[in-house]
Amino acid sequence: MEFLSIPFVVMMFITFVLYYATDRRRYQHALLLMASCVFIGYYHWIYLLVAAAITVFTFLIGKRIHATVNTPRATRWLWLGIGGLVGFWLIARYWSPLFPLGISFYTFQAISYLIEIYWEEDPEDDFIDFSLYMLLFMKFLSGPIERAENLLPQLKKAHVFDYEQIVGGLKTVAWGCFLKLVIADRIGPALDIVLDNVHGATGMQLLVATLLYPIQLYADFAGYTCMALGLGRMLGFKLQPNFDRPFTATSTGELWRRWHMSLSFWVRDYIFMPLSASLRSWKRWGVYASLLITFVAIGVWHGAGWTFAVYGLFQGLVIIGETVLGNRREKLYAHLGRHAGKTLMIVRTYLLFALSLLFFRLTSVGDVFYTYAHLFDGMQTSAKELRLGLSDQEWIVVGIAAVLMFVLEWLHSRYRLGERSSRLSAPLRWTIYVVIVGVIFWYGAFGVENFIYIQF
Amino acid sequence: MERKEILTALNGIFSVVLNKENLQLDESMSTDDIDNWDSLTNMTIISEIERLWGVHFKLRDIIRMKNIGDMIDTILAKSQQ
Repeated sequence: MEFLSIPFVVMMFITFVLYYATDRRRYQHALLLMASCVFIGYYHWIYLLVAAAITVFTFLIGKRIHATVNTPRATRWLWLGIGGLVGFWLIARYWSPLFPLGISFYTFQAISYLIEIYWEEDPEDDFIDFSLYMLLFMKFLSGPIERAENLLPQLKKAHVFDYEQIVGGLKTVAWGCFLKLVIADRIGPALDIVLDNVHGATGMQLLVATLLYPIQLYADFAGYTCMALGLGRMLGFKLQPNFDRPFTATSTGELWRRWHMSLSFWVRDYIFMPLSASLRSWKRWGVYASLLITFVAIGVWHGAGWTFAVYGLFQGLVIIGETVLGNRREKLYAHLGRHAGKTLMIVRTYLLFALSLLFFRLTSVGDVFYTYAHLFDGMQTSAKELRLGLSDQEWIVVGIAAVLMFVLEWLHSRYRLGERSSRLSAPLRWTIYVVIVGVIFWYGAFGVENFIYIQF
Repeated sequence: MERKEILTALNGIFSVVLNKENLQLDESMSTDDIDNWDSLTNMTIISEIERLWGVHFKLRDIIRMKNIGDMIDTILAKSQQ
């Protein structure tokens, strides 16, 4: 069941009404679990079966680890758990005719849950609450990858109707729809024409598509995340944020602390930290080796093939380069002035990310190098070629929407726009709401493909 | 070993690893308060601490150190073992 579909809107409406019909925790949780099962099973009953089996497996292994904690048996149970989860994920990813949606995300949640118990955190005793931690529908398909310490305590109390929270959630959902429908889906088909067949595109088309793809990917994934966070907030949950204005990062290291944060922090805590701790006798070379292994792991998590591995390797090498050349940044700032220096670093970080994303988007390493080699071919291209099949009006809409996205996100980070808008007079506030919804319906591109990250 | 003594020694390690001459640590400081103290530099700091005090941290010790105060607690606990 997709977020942007009539069945989902109907399911969410019914769940919402019944959820707040009572303030009994048990009733609310049973309802949420039922809604989550419907949401998952609506795609395919196999998806629900797989998710349920992994939930039961993780719950039971967690109990065994806790019962034997601080003994060698706990280590064996942990490795059995991780081996089982990763093994099943590999089979589903590479050898199964059916790839269960969301499995990459809830497998990560399951692994972090087991490791935390191994590190002496308490396991969850309530199976219903644990099932919701694993299966809660708004974050099931593409995260955020929740931590037990964040979500499970929120499941220990009933949620009462809170007008401010619900309106805040709706605003976040609307913002997600704006990002997805007005920017990502409007520009996506045009970029697909170029990036699906780089050999048939001109140099300028390749350049434009390369520069705009990060914006499409961001609007798509941040759009999904906003919808997930907003829907969660409407039902009283505060899910982990996934993005923090990544294109303001002045280094690739910083970008990865702002981009797909729930994944970045997961790999930092459960892959990079253990690796770099075990290799710390190698001094900085241990850190570099751990970085490369971690980023290649992030790459191959996205899929099979050399492109994803090289995508990860690219990030790791750039971050190592930044670490080695760290002191030169201060010299650059001293030379150019802080504002100009930072602006230069922001542009540099964006360009490197855009170039690296070609490994993420294209299907072969050869196509990526072909694109690199032809980015500046035929600079005197006609305006018609540059439009990539979109009309002038569509470019104007996308351009204004993208600028609006950056400006509003900057304003929100400084002035908490959502909270401030609540203090406006009712007529003005409702006028703004109607305009935003009108813009989404008027300028949104409906009927385009699903979210990019759903395939992972 | 006094906490203040450890704090002074930590100040020296952080200054060298993070290349910051005028750093003044206090126990409440975390990665949010100190530029360049991140997951990349943290492990170098940890190995310098282990070398200076002749201790060895487990992974879970490292993960639980959320600020300078936690670091001092862990160093004290490990030194007394």
